[in-house]
Amino acid sequence: MIVYTLVDGSIDFFGNPAVDLVDFFTGTMWRPNGAEPSFGLLALLSGTILIAGGTLLVAGPLGIGAAIYLSEFAGPRFRSIAKPVIELLAGIPSIVYGFFALLVISPIFQEYLGASYFNAASAIVVMSVMVLPIIISVSDDAMKAIPRSLREASLSMGATKWETATKVVMPAASSGIMASVLLGLARAIGETMIVVLAAGSVAGFSFNIFGETQTMTSYIAQVATGDIPPGVAVSAAFAVGLVLFAITYIINSLASKVVDRIRRGSAPKSAGGKIEKVLRKLAARFSFRSRPRDSESLLRRRQLIGKIGSQSMALCIFLAGAFLIILLASVLVQGIGVIDLTFLTEFPSSSPDRAGIYPVVIGSLSLMGLTMLFAIPVGVGAAAYLNEFARDTRFTRLLRRIIQNLAGVPSIVFGLVGLYIFSRMFGFGASLLSGALTLAIMSLPVIVVTTEEALRAVPMTFREAAKGLGATKWQTVRHHVLPNAVPGIMTGTILSLSRAIGETAPILFIAAVFEKTAPSGIMDGFMALPVTIFYWTRHPNGEFHDLAAGTILVLLAILLSMNALAIYIRHRAQKRRDW
Amino acid sequence: MLNIFKVLGNQGKPAESVMTGQPKGDAMSIEGLNISYGSNHAVKGVKMSIPLKSVTAFIGPSGCGKSTLLRALNRMNDEIEGCKTEGTVTWKGVNILDPKVDPVALRSKVGMVFQKPNPFPKSIFDNIAYGPRIHGITERSELEKIVEKSLRNAALWDEVKDRLDESAMGLSGGQQQRLCIARALAIDPEVILMDEPCSALDPIATSKIEDLIEELKKKYTVVIVTHNMQQAARVSDYTGFMYLGELIEFGETEQIFQKPNERLTENYITGRFG
Repeated sequence: MIVYTLVDGSIDFFGNPAVDLVDFFTGTMWRPNGAEPSFGLLALLSGTILIAGGTLLVAGPLGIGAAIYLSEFAGPRFRSIAKPVIELLAGIPSIVYGFFALLVISPIFQEYLGASYFNAASAIVVMSVMVLPIIISVSDDAMKAIPRSLREASLSMGATKWETATKVVMPAASSGIMASVLLGLARAIGETMIVVLAAGSVAGFSFNIFGETQTMTSYIAQVATGDIPPGVAVSAAFAVGLVLFAITYIINSLASKVVDRIRRGSAPKSAGGKIEKVLRKLAARFSFRSRPRDSESLLRRRQLIGKIGSQSMALCIFLAGAFLIILLASVLVQGIGVIDLTFLTEFPSSSPDRAGIYPVVIGSLSLMGLTMLFAIPVGVGAAAYLNEFARDTRFTRLLRRIIQNLAGVPSIVFGLVGLYIFSRMFGFGASLLSGALTLAIMSLPVIVVTTEEALRAVPMTFREAAKGLGATKWQTVRHHVLPNAVPGIMTGTILSLSRAIGETAPILFIAAVFEKTAPSGIMDGFMALPVTIFYWTRHPNGEFHDLAAGTILVLLAILLSMNALAIYIRHRAQKRRDW
Repeated sequence: MLNIFKVLGNQGKPAESVMTGQPKGDAMSIEGLNISYGSNHAVKGVKMSIPLKSVTAFIGPSGCGKSTLLRALNRMNDEIEGCKTEGTVTWKGVNILDPKVDPVALRSKVGMVFQKPNPFPKSIFDNIAYGPRIHGITERSELEKIVEKSLRNAALWDEVKDRLDESAMGLSGGQQQRLCIARALAIDPEVILMDEPCSALDPIATSKIEDLIEELKKKYTVVIVTHNMQQAARVSDYTGFMYLGELIEFGETEQIFQKPNERLTENYITGRFG
């Protein structure tokens, strides 16, 4: 369906006489409107590369460092604090990061580094924090999967912990670490809201990090917000979306292959063994010959290196934690003042002191309810089919692969799909229904994966016991497997819905800037919290920024209570579980 | 940090030169050793001495604390969350359980071989060279010498000399275990701890390792934990029988197996429980 949308939409674009296919891939000018439009993708691509590459340079080392500390040095108490912090970072909607980038980080860069109001640098910094959780958790998993026996072997030969971590664990986990960075990269390429808010909308073939720039995603968003007049420039969004989809798809499937292999537990082969060998030869040639050979000073030096190393890794985690605190604090300080009864019960208005978000909250909540209605039956059904009924055939493997890769599709691409299929083709227009269907597709992969996990956790013996009594497969699943998996399914579903409700990009095409009433039917237009935050953050009048911050607080409060609910359900189920 | 190297003698010279001329005596003496994990009291008040340049075996049913005791001798228990150790283990006049003793320095003199072969996912050469490298040897020619010597001492050289650059994961289980022994020898230890080194191996590989242990005791003090009584009888000079965390009896292997002083030991050896 995604592919159909993108290809079909793109045909429209490439069929246009103003468009030259060669120029699309090789041109460096991206000027979609005006008398002589020109579509040189390289202009957008350079912006994407600049921002995603910059993000990788910042987040890669930080994330791997933090993961090393977590998996090799941190005690259980530290882990129990650090893990929720990382999960929290992962749970913050990207619109909040965007707000933070434009209104907190950018002014600092403007003041001290001479950056322009919109600049790539602040997008890079904030995006780095956003992709950190992915890099940390996947790298941490990869290193944790390295058998304890390897660490013991190294330690028992008198290696320090640091030497064990860098010379044994990291090389053995190198493929997983690589995958984590790839996943982070795909995420950075597909991220929309931070870039569109912080980096501006001037496409140019330049790599100036303090200047304005436009990426593929932010162009699509620009189309979505109606800044671009209809016509060929709009259909260009589909072509850009197609390229974006292709790039992220390739990166994600590379990464997920590696992650799969690690999960299945086949010995991860040390990638880059040859490179390592060459590097070592080079290092041997240039290395300091007069290393202290006397054992005492050598030992002291090795211990020192280990100490410095592990502490700088710890610093990576503290940086992430500090960032989280600053982010929450700045939003709180800016937003707490506007929250009062008027704010929660009134309608948005052009005068900031009378504006409220009542219909916006209603819009978001009904959007969530409707999304749930579509996503849960389909998601749980698909998972039950895959896990309980289907055999491991080429078809199911393909299905799984598709679901897995769906999870990595940039959310703005879902926006295009929603616009094309639900709004236009099915004629649902800019309605709640279109929005909910779009979000439902987007949350499907997570629901399927978490449900499958919950089903798998139900012991095989239950199924065998039921079948031994002559129950059919359906009865077994219906009476024994599903009921026991309900808490797990609910936890996963709530988490995926809380993700969906915080998403801006997919409904950017569909949600309204302003509606006079709260939605009363599924075909009504609607406003949604993240989209309203987006428009208020971009508002030239600074008082609206406070309103945006206040709205963020409301959104975070909703997300937090949903997460708390999920944790409560998990906790209660674990306590009650007697198997 | 207590300077363990001064006490332990000149590192860098081969072990035998340190040992030459010394009469056979005790390598390590253990006193009042108590080890617990949380509420599980794994080793209770063990007192004994491990004789120099001989093979000492610990036998006993699973969960009797023999592995835990072994792992105290090079402080590997430090790496386990919530493990508490009390008492003293004296080696060359130093209590190695003293927190001031650096476990990293200690382990470079007290090597260990584990239950399951655990080669690094690197080449055979890099596996053996890992220890010498971290201890500061960088010259290729010197490393090559050490690798060859260690592999010869572990009776593996002839089988792998033509494929040193291949992954160690491609070796058979028995070869992997001998590789791990070679790897432990490459750091030039004085004591080698073996934690059920043959339990994952077939009988032929086991007999090769046992022959090797026989060789090793000429140069090294070997401490081995095994649940296989025949093995203890075959390879060891001294045997300790442990039961429920206590060291029930310790003595020369022959005496333990032929006329044990304790009823428990006799019951275990004759197969009445275990």
